[in-house]
Amino acid sequence: MKNTLLRLCAAGIVLLGSLVPATAADSKLIVAMLPKSKGNAYFISVKAGADKAAKELGIQLLFDGPTDSNAAKQNEIVENWITLGVDVIAVAAENKEGISTALRKAQKQGIKVVTFDADAIADARSFFVNQATPSGIGYSLMDEAARLTGGEGEFAMIVATLTAANQREWQKHIEDRLKEKYPKMKLVAVRPCDDLKDKAQSETTALLSANPNLKLVMAICSPGVPGAAEAVKQAGKTGKVKVIGLGLPNENKRYVREGVTDSVILWNTGDLGYLTIHAAVAVAKNELKKGAKTFKAGTLGPFAIEGDNILLGKPFIFNKSNIEQFDF
Amino acid sequence: MSATPPAPAPGLGSWKSRLLSHEMLLFYVLIALWLFFYFAGTTVNRRGVTVGFGTLDRQFDILRHSCEIGLLALALTPIIITAGIDLSVGSLLGLCAILFGQLWHDGGLPIPVAAGLTLVIGALAGGLNAVLITALRIPPLIVTLGTYSLFRGLAEALTRGSITYTDFPASFLYLGQERWLGLPTQAWIFFAVAIVVGVLVHRTTFGRAFRTIGFSPEGARYAGIPVARRLALAYVLAGLIAAIAAIIYTARLGQAKADAGTGYELFAITAVVLGGTSIFGGKGSVIGTLLGVAAIAVLKNGLACLPVVMRMNAAEEMSGLLTGALLLFALSAGVVPQLWSGFRQRASAT
Amino acid sequence: MKHYFRELSVLGALLAILLGLAIFAPAFYQPQPLLSLLTREAPTLVVACGMALVIVCRQIDISVGSIFSVCSVCAGLLAARGWPLLLVLPASVALGAVFGAFNGVLVAGLRLPSIVVTLATMVTLRQGLNLVRQGEFVNLPEGIQWFGLGQTAGQLVLVIAAVVILILLALAMRHFAAGRFAYAVGTDAEAARLAGIRPQLVTFLVFVSIGALTGLAAMMNLAQSPQVQPLTGNGLELKVIAAVVVGGVAISGGRGNLWGAFAGLLLLACISPALTHLRIEAYWEKAIQGTIILLAVVADGLRSRKGGN
Repeated sequence: MKNTLLRLCAAGIVLLGSLVPATAADSKLIVAMLPKSKGNAYFISVKAGADKAAKELGIQLLFDGPTDSNAAKQNEIVENWITLGVDVIAVAAENKEGISTALRKAQKQGIKVVTFDADAIADARSFFVNQATPSGIGYSLMDEAARLTGGEGEFAMIVATLTAANQREWQKHIEDRLKEKYPKMKLVAVRPCDDLKDKAQSETTALLSANPNLKLVMAICSPGVPGAAEAVKQAGKTGKVKVIGLGLPNENKRYVREGVTDSVILWNTGDLGYLTIHAAVAVAKNELKKGAKTFKAGTLGPFAIEGDNILLGKPFIFNKSNIEQFDF
Repeated sequence: MSATPPAPAPGLGSWKSRLLSHEMLLFYVLIALWLFFYFAGTTVNRRGVTVGFGTLDRQFDILRHSCEIGLLALALTPIIITAGIDLSVGSLLGLCAILFGQLWHDGGLPIPVAAGLTLVIGALAGGLNAVLITALRIPPLIVTLGTYSLFRGLAEALTRGSITYTDFPASFLYLGQERWLGLPTQAWIFFAVAIVVGVLVHRTTFGRAFRTIGFSPEGARYAGIPVARRLALAYVLAGLIAAIAAIIYTARLGQAKADAGTGYELFAITAVVLGGTSIFGGKGSVIGTLLGVAAIAVLKNGLACLPVVMRMNAAEEMSGLLTGALLLFALSAGVVPQLWSGFRQRASAT
Repeated sequence: MKHYFRELSVLGALLAILLGLAIFAPAFYQPQPLLSLLTREAPTLVVACGMALVIVCRQIDISVGSIFSVCSVCAGLLAARGWPLLLVLPASVALGAVFGAFNGVLVAGLRLPSIVVTLATMVTLRQGLNLVRQGEFVNLPEGIQWFGLGQTAGQLVLVIAAVVILILLALAMRHFAAGRFAYAVGTDAEAARLAGIRPQLVTFLVFVSIGALTGLAAMMNLAQSPQVQPLTGNGLELKVIAAVVVGGVAISGGRGNLWGAFAGLLLLACISPALTHLRIEAYWEKAIQGTIILLAVVADGLRSRKGGN
């Protein structure tokens, strides 16, 4: 029995081996891109832009990230890339301090590092492709909420998880703006939805019945926006309770069209991926150095550089008037 | 939990040899996987440097990344041998990590004192599981399902989700990020714990008690084994080891946060079961667990080095898929020949 | 009375929460939001019924979350291709049953431990779905939501369907021979075999049932919104297992009933909205949930200890 199994194993290995083309040294520059999570429509649309840039520049793009909520996974993937000898790593950091440990190690090995979407600690990377500053996002959301409610009344928030770093940061800026500019508005509850649309729907249903005076629900994770909108619609409160949030146009078109969701805020995610790859390659080739004031990325740009942040531009507000023009 | 009734207890020699054969089989698979990745996952890059799976750095990384899940798997081995389970180890890792951070940062304690207190807390948390399981006779699955939520919940509540402890001194980070005597520092701790658990399970009366309890708790009681105390030992030990894993995790990432160790319990259980420890209790070995941890780690890391997987951008998904497949394969490999011989016997009898 | 102590202690905990809400947050009791809350839990109840069956049989199935996701996505894709609802519904149930049968063959046929088999199928299905769909939402055509019935009617249909399934299964497990076979196999498979029951067949069928029920539940969830997220079933297995075991179904097999599982599910489902209504901050939610699970079972544990067990 042992022998048969042994032989089976050997056969399996030969079979597997034949699947792998014998690749000699790949002469292309290798850029490795690490999203916060892979199965997320947001990062899929970032990847679409990254793929486009990779094709233009003739580089090999690796795209890998955690598929579950395992906080240490990003570090392990980066360390794997270090031993794979990639040329540049582009990271959207889930855990700011945690990932920086691995990124510094990469820099020590001569690998260039840029960050996008969510920054690491400044000394662990050369540039941050900044889609919109956390304060920019927080302020835009809060200002939009105030505009829709006339600057007074109760509102509630749906977040991804209670521990996600970027969510906490946005929430902080939203609360700062609230305190500073809109004293008549009140944040009554913050509920997590674990990045699940269905859970966002349940949570919003409970929020609506517990807070009869609620005037607005703000969801700051992309599955949360359609979930909250569905709950408002089912509660028969379309128009009475506004829905806004950070999300992708395609997931929200239906609700924006029906007037349930008023506005969705996001930057052009495809451009973010495109710009990130161009910046990563330019850094690797030493074409982009500290102190530069602008950066031209392929067919896009020029983009302004502020310190070591390459700015993608302001977040965009999608609403009934423009959402049909976008497809991502 | 259990399904089929325990097989009529075979002679000690026969199951021992079967145990050996499962481990040997796993060992062959591990070697085969390793060799395969060594050849298929190593390349020379543009600058003429050898990169990928075959490099020493990669091997050390695999070791480094396996330490926490490996520790949890070691913690679970005695428990599963007693036919129990502990779903709370991953959550306890998270709770211990932030308590360690709090003791050091907010409490102003020196690192060794904070670490020592964290170990005590881990053991106490394991003790909570133990009391509920042994004194109140509540099934371990339910108790640890409750503490799985409770420990993670406390971690989130204590930090309000957001507080992250960081800026640990370099002397502490040495534990998680540097090498000592050639190997990643934390690997030494991992090996030490493995030896302690190995001796406990295989060379002491405690280990025999675990197995006896796993076979039949009633029988163990009649044989004069203090069942409650032995079970309690297994769960307290698990809490203690989870706390060690928490400290190592914090040192490796350089941060302590409430989400540490999320989902680790599943990886650890997978490794233990892959290593041949029966989920019905009564048999299992520490060597098997170590091989299980190694097989999963090599598979995961190796796949990420394969050019074809890299081109598909599917390393994470493929490693999940293949771990599942490996688990099914390892399970059925032990059973199919048995069924087949049983079938042949029946056929020849008629 | 003594026999149903666990069920009663869970019911007691549930009533305590409901009473607390009645005093401190009467807004909880509004017909429309309550109906919505119940509708959201209807699919979970259907899966919980299947899980109770499996656990009574001394097995466990942790792949239900992944099966739920795969069925949801496949059903969604079929509906998006224009398949009529009358075909999508049986297709989803059948797909679920096929996955259940796969687990069943490995558990009953090869006699492998169910927790490990379903752990493997859980991981495999989840990662397979990740690989194929990459997390992309499926948009459903008009007429699928609420089965084209309108919201209130649709919600009532879903809740009533779930309760009918619960009642039928509960009655079947108590009064039909086939249902009692599950208890027999869970209590002592060898004795059951000697009594003329085929334990492996019962086990296999129980896995097929939970698969089919999960496929049905996926459809019941699909009908509640116009989009399907591939992550939809994540964590379902833990929720359902917690509900069932808290409700007094013994993990060692052979004991417990669907009413207990029902009470357990309502208890767990209440916690999150109750916290929202009582304005307790979300950071405490998991800790409170864990404590309630422990308290509900500790009551039972204390009792059996007193009983001089």
